[in-house]
Amino acid sequence: MFHQITLESLGPLQSLATNVSTKAKYVWDDYIELWNIRDENRRLHKKLDEYDDKFNVYLEAYSTYLGLIEKLKFKEKEPFPSISAKVVGKGPSYWFQTIIVDRGENDGIVEGMVARTEKGVVGQVIQVSPNYCKILLANAPSSAIDAMVQKNRVRGILKGAGNGGYTLYYVLKNADVAVGDRIVTAGIGGVFRSGIPLGTVAAVRKKQRGMFQEIEVDPAVDFQRLETVFINLTEKLSWEAEIENVSGDNN
Amino acid sequence: MLIFFFLFLGIFTVVMQSTFFPLLPDWLGRPDFIFILVVFAAYKFGWIHGLFYAFVLGWMTDVMSGIQLGIFPLQYILLFTFLKVITENSPLKESAYQVPLVGFSYFIIQMGFYFLYSIILPGTLPEWSWNRMVQETIIILLATIPSFIAFNYCYEFFSKRRVVHRVVRKRTGNEFR
Repeated sequence: MFHQITLESLGPLQSLATNVSTKAKYVWDDYIELWNIRDENRRLHKKLDEYDDKFNVYLEAYSTYLGLIEKLKFKEKEPFPSISAKVVGKGPSYWFQTIIVDRGENDGIVEGMVARTEKGVVGQVIQVSPNYCKILLANAPSSAIDAMVQKNRVRGILKGAGNGGYTLYYVLKNADVAVGDRIVTAGIGGVFRSGIPLGTVAAVRKKQRGMFQEIEVDPAVDFQRLETVFINLTEKLSWEAEIENVSGDNN
Repeated sequence: MLIFFFLFLGIFTVVMQSTFFPLLPDWLGRPDFIFILVVFAAYKFGWIHGLFYAFVLGWMTDVMSGIQLGIFPLQYILLFTFLKVITENSPLKESAYQVPLVGFSYFIIQMGFYFLYSIILPGTLPEWSWNRMVQETIIILLATIPSFIAFNYCYEFFSKRRVVHRVVRKRTGNEFR
């Protein structure tokens, strides 16, 4: 009897103590686990950062690779012999649109040569030193290119408008030109062959007075993000051939 | 030493202006630090050093960005001369007027430059934009204050070194009397 009473009274206490200790153990284990998780979390975060860095490097390398593939395709496809040049500087002045590239006389560059990218016309070489040259961008107001609307061969003169892109002049009012039409080189004048992309029509204005419409053109080339350009060496080669011919005739 | 330091600073500024700044977004503005340097030279340098400095900065800017050589040296020499003439022996040289004078001279020089070009070589420059010019003037005004503090610190530092060097040389001479 006494044995049963003792058992009945200590039993709940034991049960309570066991429950409490079990709970405490769980709490303690969770607490310890939390510490471990925190450590692991830190470690994983660090690892994630490392992988993020690596991923960015790979992504950059991949986009460089894609860009190079595109440039290589362009170089293989183009009929003219060209030399690639890296853009090392951009004219700081708002008034003039120029860039400096790392090719010069030593690479066969002469004034007047045309620079292009796979997207379209970039500009023309205006000053040359032994290892560098300055290119006047096609969006400079002083540059003018014979251009045409690709869909119907309507011709005009494309002039640079600074940071605003291009303006296509001398297109008659009755010519069918609409926003989105592609503008390409006309191939007149011998500087550019025909069909090189210049841009797309962004706006067409027909004023009441005058014969011509005013056409705003968005450049095909992003002049703000130029990294590499190709300089057409044809002119140099034709000069050399001409000099050889002249010296051959003299001999 | 002083002029050499400022020449190096000029070269550094021209390089940064033609490589790093064009990468910045348009809305952030690209203050013309070369212009600020020329104005600073007009406040601090003598005629000979200042004109030489303005010419060198103009020449470098011309090579980096100009189409017709000679425009920027002319522009900077005129700017230097204009500021030197109006600030010499005049209260305009006081620091309170210096920063507004930068904005004023920037605006006047840009207008003069555009006017000159539109007469000599019409159609060579983009269309005049009041918005753009006002925006650039405000940006240059904002950039002038920290730039002047930094340039002034460098100027004082190198000037003091020059004075100390002279004093030390004088003392050394006296020892042998």
